Amino acid sequence: MTASGIGWYGVALAIIGGALRVSTPYLFVSLGEVLTEKSGRVNLGLEGILLMGAMTGFAVGSLSGSPWLGVLAAGGAGALLGLLHAGICNLPRVNDIAVGIALFLFGMGLAFYLGKPFIAPRAAMLPALQLGAWSNEPAVRAALEISPLFLIGIALAIALRWGLANTRWGLVLRMAGESADAARALGYSVNAIRTLATMCGGFLGGIGGAFLSLYYPGNWNEGLSSGQGLMAIALVIFARWNPLRCLWASLLFGGASALGPALQTVGVTSGYYLYSAAPYVLTLALLVYSSSTRHTLAGAPSELSISR
Amino acid sequence: MNDIVQPPPCVEVRDLSKRFGSVQALCDASVRFAPGRVHALLGENGAGKSTLVKCIMGYYRADSGMIRVDGVAQAIRSPQQSRALGLGMVYQHFTLVSQMSVAENLVLGRARIPARIDWKAEHRALTEFMRTMPFRLDPARRVASLSAGEKQKLEILKQLYLGRRFLVLDEPTSVLTPDEADQVLSEMRALAERGTLTVVLITHKFREVMRFAQDVTVMRGGRILATAEAASTSIDELARRMFGQATVTTAANEARAGVPAGAYCEVRDLGAHGDRGTLAVVDTSFAVRSGEILAIAGVSGNGQKELVEVLAGQRDAADGAILVAGHAYRRTRSQMQRYGVFVLTEEPLANDCVRSLSVMANLALRRYDRPPIAWHGWVRRRVLRRWAEELIARYRIRTSSPLARIDSLSGGNVQRTVLARELSEDLRLLILQNPCFGLDAAAAAEIHAQIAKARDRGVAVLLVSEDLDEVLELADRIVVMSGGRIVHEVGRAQADRYELGRHMTRTSEAEAA
Amino acid sequence: MPSSSDSAVDQQPLTKLPAAPWSRQLSLASAPAYAAALESACLSIGALVVALVLFGIFVAVGGHDPLAVYGALYLGAFGTRFSIEGALTQASPIILTALCTAVPARVGLLVIGGEGALVLGGLCAVLCATASAGAPGWIGALVALLGGTCAGAAWIGAVGALKQWRGVNETISSLLLNYIAIALFNHLISGPIRDFSQTLKATSWPVPPAFGIGSIPGWSVHWGLVIGIGLCIVLFVVLRYTTLGFSMDILGGNRRAAQVAGLPIGRLLIVACLIGGGAAGLAGAIEVLAVHGAASESLIVGFGYTGILVAFLARQNPLAVIPVALLVGGISASGGLLQRRFDMPDATTQVLEGLIFICVLASSAFAGRIRWLAR
Repeated sequence: MTASGIGWYGVALAIIGGALRVSTPYLFVSLGEVLTEKSGRVNLGLEGILLMGAMTGFAVGSLSGSPWLGVLAAGGAGALLGLLHAGICNLPRVNDIAVGIALFLFGMGLAFYLGKPFIAPRAAMLPALQLGAWSNEPAVRAALEISPLFLIGIALAIALRWGLANTRWGLVLRMAGESADAARALGYSVNAIRTLATMCGGFLGGIGGAFLSLYYPGNWNEGLSSGQGLMAIALVIFARWNPLRCLWASLLFGGASALGPALQTVGVTSGYYLYSAAPYVLTLALLVYSSSTRHTLAGAPSELSISR
Repeated sequence: MNDIVQPPPCVEVRDLSKRFGSVQALCDASVRFAPGRVHALLGENGAGKSTLVKCIMGYYRADSGMIRVDGVAQAIRSPQQSRALGLGMVYQHFTLVSQMSVAENLVLGRARIPARIDWKAEHRALTEFMRTMPFRLDPARRVASLSAGEKQKLEILKQLYLGRRFLVLDEPTSVLTPDEADQVLSEMRALAERGTLTVVLITHKFREVMRFAQDVTVMRGGRILATAEAASTSIDELARRMFGQATVTTAANEARAGVPAGAYCEVRDLGAHGDRGTLAVVDTSFAVRSGEILAIAGVSGNGQKELVEVLAGQRDAADGAILVAGHAYRRTRSQMQRYGVFVLTEEPLANDCVRSLSVMANLALRRYDRPPIAWHGWVRRRVLRRWAEELIARYRIRTSSPLARIDSLSGGNVQRTVLARELSEDLRLLILQNPCFGLDAAAAAEIHAQIAKARDRGVAVLLVSEDLDEVLELADRIVVMSGGRIVHEVGRAQADRYELGRHMTRTSEAEAA
Repeated sequence: MPSSSDSAVDQQPLTKLPAAPWSRQLSLASAPAYAAALESACLSIGALVVALVLFGIFVAVGGHDPLAVYGALYLGAFGTRFSIEGALTQASPIILTALCTAVPARVGLLVIGGEGALVLGGLCAVLCATASAGAPGWIGALVALLGGTCAGAAWIGAVGALKQWRGVNETISSLLLNYIAIALFNHLISGPIRDFSQTLKATSWPVPPAFGIGSIPGWSVHWGLVIGIGLCIVLFVVLRYTTLGFSMDILGGNRRAAQVAGLPIGRLLIVACLIGGGAAGLAGAIEVLAVHGAASESLIVGFGYTGILVAFLARQNPLAVIPVALLVGGISASGGLLQRRFDMPDATTQVLEGLIFICVLASSAFAGRIRWLAR
């Protein structure tokens, strides 16, 4: 009885720990996607960007010995792929969703191609902050071992929330996403705004990838991502295009992803894969609930191709 | 920030002309908009009102003539230039970002936006600004939550906030309720009388001119016919000038053999929502008999578009019923074929053609699934091609081949293609909406003749038109639609153009009284 | 009528179509105008050439001789009988998953759920085969194939139904359904229907060997390829020569025109999704019956995503899907040779496929711009 008590307590801890750990890449890709979508474009290729970021971060990290340099390089690689996406979408009659799928396949191929020599070595890992040092319980300590990138992500979510509302850039970006005609009438180049937004989104997506390869799970292989990049688009719908809600949604999705492994530790193994599908089912249910043939999704930028 | 005491600019145009292809949209127009007055530009659709103001606002460049602002000749090449001169325009369609707040929309319009926006200070400044204005809006409200009237006010506030003192209002009341329209216009008049503003009011409603304008200029066919003080003229005189003399009497109306009995199409208490979610068609009832043309006359934007969309199957009715041949009409393909219902609208390329398909395919839109073209679910291409070539020849559609894409054709030929498709042999109810919109006189006459011919062979024709000449030329019976309702019905013999013109603008007058 | 009578009309600005913004570029191939078909082919081939040049530069930067790599690519794809057989085997499922994107595209939907429908089709084929164990071989195989087809059709049909009745974006819902299908698949093969004698990786109960789909006599290519090619031809004929195909082209081209014509829009959307999903489900069933003999992870190798590439490269034309799938299948199959000969990573072919996809999409910006084709 006591054993099972500790066991379930352990499950809760493992879920919280998992949420804190696993949510970081979710957080970065979803913030990147929010930025892109607020400008009126969908980037479905964040999975490719995430993998490129993971590979670049790991490669630069292991070659230079500095994991932070790796994170920066990962962001740069992501921004470059974002530029590619935006450049093609700027052409007339090109569908941004299809370009996203292409970028997903291309980024994945490129990451596996360039990353092959790095599958064996280990890079210098990002440090962890031991927020659980006060506790004697090893489970608590493990759960509260937090990456500085997670904290940066939280700060970023707050900053983005504030910046979208209170800066010139935020205002113009949102206008491009809400009414391209209005933006053009005021003399702004909608394509330039969207290109920049997609590049910034790619930068954040790349950092999300670097977290995977440089912190948790902390290596580079072809099975590294479990679709976090593709989840970004669902997450953003879930968070109704609000950066702060992205934070909560990332924690929720992270917790949901941690549910399976956590239950495994107490011997519940049967529904492992079903639990892993929880975020997707959740998103689909939300989508079905909030969609309508009469109006667009609540909170969706009006220029978005998926909301029209 | 905005110098409210600075007097409004005086704008004057001299001999302005503008030509689009073969159409002389504006011809030697001269008019002076005196500062601090409300000046109405009155005319039917296509009279040249929009072309005139768009030349002033820098959207078009006039072919010849001169624009003077405060006595100085200005070559206005771009909207930015006219804005810098303090000229502003409020459009029929709103240019606001609906998911943003009132304050955000106002700040976004500014030429310089601070990198970091101090919303507290901005809201304070805006509240201060609103206090000097005739109407106020809460800066924190989202534009999407504003009513149409409030949006119109916000558009006007935005122009004033940005320091524009010469305002063109393009049909401002087309989206407003009569009460809202009265309020907005009387406030504009008050502002003008305080000497802070010049207002140019584009309209085709006499009541607005008589009540709110000080000066009025009547336009027709790209020419300015007269400019006068509103107080010194009358509605009758304005109507006579605006609608001109009836010049067209054709053979279309001769030789009508007896009035056929029984309604073929009946619309009962129909209601439909417009794009903005408000009721655009209200309790509309009418009946079309076989072998007659029933015309629905009215000024654009009074529910005709929505009515036709409901009949065509492009919009769902909110309530009411449609009966064709005595049966409830559900607008399915089988019903359309059984009852011979056909539709011809303006802008056929957007409304009832498939741009990416060929002329042949578009011709076959209604026939491809019936013999002889269809054979047990198969489309017989050779039969289809021969059939299409015959139609192309009969209707003189100018195309390089039946297989050419429909959007490679000129507008007149697209219209002819649709006409060829819709005027098929099993036609029994024809619904037309501005069928000659954008066509020249020769093409229009040809289409009119076809419509009359269809009527003569017993087709029930519903003609929805904004063109009073067209209505008077073709119709056997005329109803007038205004504010989404049928407000007047008259037989062709008793119809009088001025009477109809007055009914077309009646609702607002009735409700204002 | 005077010859200049239409010039006034020419000045009228073209109005925007209310249809899906990308459907116009897709339905080109369905237009009976041969110039449009020719233009599509030219654009696709041009995009292919540009992608190959970019790929050459890419491998040259990596220190390889691009010409030698092209040669190996050809050899690995189509150079020998063995490599042709490999390409054909790869192409078989890709042909079918491409239809999962190409058919709904005809009514204006962008569906990317081929992967999920394939996986479920494979799963359902195993279940049906197990249920009909003991039946004669061809009956069992037929039941399993039908079961797989129905599972895929239902899966993507749901996407169409959600679109029609709830307005749920079809791209997003089909993407999410991919992950849900894979999770369902993994759950079942790692527990409820697991064959515990297989210890290396989670594998479902085996399909009775009698139900397996054999090879085409004289070739080591299974009959699934013939089924796929046959389906493409049937669909091409149906979409081009029947009233159903005509209706779909109208709907995909302009929804408002379809309304004026009184077409049953909801039914057409769902039928297109059912056909597409059925094709992808059939692909899964064939892979299980002809290649793997059971449902396992080896079914989830991205055939669904490659199918999207093929559909776009074929400009959503079922007939063009066949050669394009052979080409892409060949590229995939040549990965092994590139790896052996140049020690290149096996993701090399993925890079090439990604480049092709990007170039094909970019090429649609030039549709209607090629002057000499417009004659």
